[in-house]
Amino acid sequence: MDSLSFPFLTAGLASLLVGAGICLASGSAKVARPRALLFGFLSLLGFLAAGLQAMAVPHAPGLLDSFLPWLDVDTLNAVPMIFLAALTLFFILLAPQRDSDGRQLGGMLLIALSTQLSYAAGNLVVMMVGWWLASVPFILGFFGPMKGQKLAQGFLIASCVAFSASVLILHTVEMQDLSHVSILAFSLLILAVILRKGIFPFHSWLVSAFEHGPLLPTALLFNGHLGALLIARSEATSLPQTARHALQILGMAALVTALVTSLRGFAEKKPRRLLAYICVSQASFILAGLATANAQGITGALIHWLVVAASSSGLIAVVRVIEVRIRDAADPADYLGLAVKAPRLATFFLIFGLALAGLPGTLGYCAEDLLFHGSLESHPWLGIAIVLATAFNAINLIRLFGVLFLGVLPKHVIDIPDALPRERWPLVACVAFLILGGLLPTVAISWRAPAARAMTEAIGANSAH
Amino acid sequence: MSPEKIILSVVALPGVFFLLLGLVWLLGGHLSERALSRLTRGAYALLTLAVASIGLKMWQAGTPSIQLSLGDWFHVDHYGYPLSFLVDRLSLPMMGVTVVLAGIVGSFSVRYLHRDPGFYRFFLLLHLFTFGALLVFTAGSLDLLMAGWEIVGITAVMLVGFFQYRREPVRNALRVFGIYRIADVTLLLAIFLAHHWFGTAAWTGMFRGEWPGHINNLNGTAATVIAVLLIFAASGKSSQGPFCGWLPRAMEGPTPSSAVFYGAISVHAGAYLLLRIEPLIRSSWVATGLVIFIGLTTAILGTLVHRTCADAKTSLAYASQTQLGIIFAEIGLGWTTLAIFHIIGHAMVRTMQFLRAPSMLHDYHRVHAAAGGHLDPTGEHYESLLPKSVQLWLYRVALGRGFYDSIVDRFVIAPVKKVAGALALFELGHSDKTDV
Repeated sequence: MDSLSFPFLTAGLASLLVGAGICLASGSAKVARPRALLFGFLSLLGFLAAGLQAMAVPHAPGLLDSFLPWLDVDTLNAVPMIFLAALTLFFILLAPQRDSDGRQLGGMLLIALSTQLSYAAGNLVVMMVGWWLASVPFILGFFGPMKGQKLAQGFLIASCVAFSASVLILHTVEMQDLSHVSILAFSLLILAVILRKGIFPFHSWLVSAFEHGPLLPTALLFNGHLGALLIARSEATSLPQTARHALQILGMAALVTALVTSLRGFAEKKPRRLLAYICVSQASFILAGLATANAQGITGALIHWLVVAASSSGLIAVVRVIEVRIRDAADPADYLGLAVKAPRLATFFLIFGLALAGLPGTLGYCAEDLLFHGSLESHPWLGIAIVLATAFNAINLIRLFGVLFLGVLPKHVIDIPDALPRERWPLVACVAFLILGGLLPTVAISWRAPAARAMTEAIGANSAH
Repeated sequence: MSPEKIILSVVALPGVFFLLLGLVWLLGGHLSERALSRLTRGAYALLTLAVASIGLKMWQAGTPSIQLSLGDWFHVDHYGYPLSFLVDRLSLPMMGVTVVLAGIVGSFSVRYLHRDPGFYRFFLLLHLFTFGALLVFTAGSLDLLMAGWEIVGITAVMLVGFFQYRREPVRNALRVFGIYRIADVTLLLAIFLAHHWFGTAAWTGMFRGEWPGHINNLNGTAATVIAVLLIFAASGKSSQGPFCGWLPRAMEGPTPSSAVFYGAISVHAGAYLLLRIEPLIRSSWVATGLVIFIGLTTAILGTLVHRTCADAKTSLAYASQTQLGIIFAEIGLGWTTLAIFHIIGHAMVRTMQFLRAPSMLHDYHRVHAAAGGHLDPTGEHYESLLPKSVQLWLYRVALGRGFYDSIVDRFVIAPVKKVAGALALFELGHSDKTDV
């Protein structure tokens, strides 16, 4: 395998590590934010350079990092790496003052670092280390009091333990050795994914984390989609037939999750919880798409990964900045009517929500179109489940939009600022990505198609055996 | 300029307007009322001329239709999303109606919404709606029609909740959205099944020949399933059959939006879809029977309720529903040319009625005075033919608006909420009471 022209991955990871260290040593938001932004930006440059180099040779198996050879970049992880680095910057810039002291920003950089480590992992042990590290800030309570977060911590640890046990049973560190995987080892891997992704009935930890936990770091953790990465990696390694069946069952479980959580959302009024159900439901499509085993479904899933990351980050950010502005937003007794005072935040929320639910003209529409067609080709009834779940999620999103932004403004809300410039620019960037991606979807498809092709070929080769 | 380029420009212009104006606003900019109204008037005048020129060029060249294929919007493996447009004797009148009425309503709204806090928002939504409607009417395939369909739907919902500082418009907007989404599921399924079973959702693949009188290429049970799904999708958009409850609720929006959306264009999109797939409907007795049944039952219910409505806009909404029911029945009976004339005439008259609705009482008194203080009530003769007990029963049904909302609340929404609440049992560590 060839190497990168410069150790870009090491540089990217080192920037995050140094940034996290410096931020943890810093105190107030005034000092920590510019530092976090600087190191976040440097890491973005590193991952961008690595990703662009890998995408320039789409047929190559990947490019090794010349400094840390157990890291590599290929067409599967290049885009998520760049994307996560951009999302990290997005959250650092947009975080309200109270969420951006040194400890909080340092914690976010640590989550980004560990997720990127998992993305860049050239073997299973490095990926496992990334899984563990991403959970550390939550387990150690980097983001303040840990009240109500026990469930999330428990599930995160359980997921990591399952992954570790699987690696121990495998007696190997190489991804390629997954093609000789034993049933027990693969079951443990699947269990790790189920726990991490919050597949029904284990979705409650994510809902709880959204409700009680620090919202922005949780969003960063959620949008790592490490479970999807592990499945995508294993699909690309010509899995044995038993594992293929297990993946199909996982795909069905993901669809059940999408449908159940979208339905469950109807009985929810708290914005954070409702948002969690919507995000979990839409994110489940990624696994369902990966399990379709055809090019449309897998490409749709890989694009939907980006859509979920951008849209849900936007939605979560808007909810958080509203919570900071008005106390009632955490558990509103009635409509909050904030659109009168914050029309731009309302518009951002609506665009992100509709993009997530697949509004034409946004990248979400193209991703879901491919997903529907892929699902329908593999199992017609699965396609129907996706369509229904999307419809329910869209209704839930409009419900949430209505509760937050429509109706009569409470009397005690005299004046709140609309989107501040610091918030407006990253939100506009996210909207621009979703809309430009929707108008010119071939660009996004060209980013993800080589990885989808590699996975489809591996699955096809496996079926031929 | 070639007709193909004009078609593209006509469809794209409102979309570009929406994007630019939206981006300016999101970044903190703002256009004055005067600038926005001039821009809107100019744009719709231009669009009207452009549509007229397309018609003129088609007439001069003697071509019944113009097909325009821009290849695939995106393509993966053997599946491609076709970006194709079709302007023929069915879509051209609909395009004309859209740009003319949207222009008139835009012009009317400049004064009607003067100094309203939602002035800018209204015009943004109007441009987006026009873009969506033009996409629906010029789409060369069900795939592209779906894109326009969804855009029309979301703008309609946003305008129902336009007066967002009141509780009722917000609730009604949510209800309308819910009904739209459920109905749209059937359209999505029809598209996917068409791809799955027949490998195409393009009009040219589904039918051959020119409208009217084009011939169906699809047949068998699969074609019937697709036809039935599309009928339900059309029913959702045109407030017919099981989805008839949303139109009166949509009257919460400002009067100009009621005119252009619910009187003229949006509600006729369903009828347009049925006209487009009319040979498919005709080839199946199930689909034919269904569309006639849905149309006639909705028309009867609509006219019944319309006679007991106390406010002008709701009354007009039910009147629209009645006419759309009749249009559905006409399509089911194969009277396609009559149906398109009916659609255009109805759209024009209804827009005028909606725009005049705020001053209707004043008009009534003037006419009343001019008639010497006596205006005969209409329809009493037909009512008197029914037995008294039936009259009373019908009156009660009409007053309860067919008990539609109660039925939906009790048999659809309540069970869904119950299931949603029951799903909480599967959640670990969730002790909060759910909002069932």
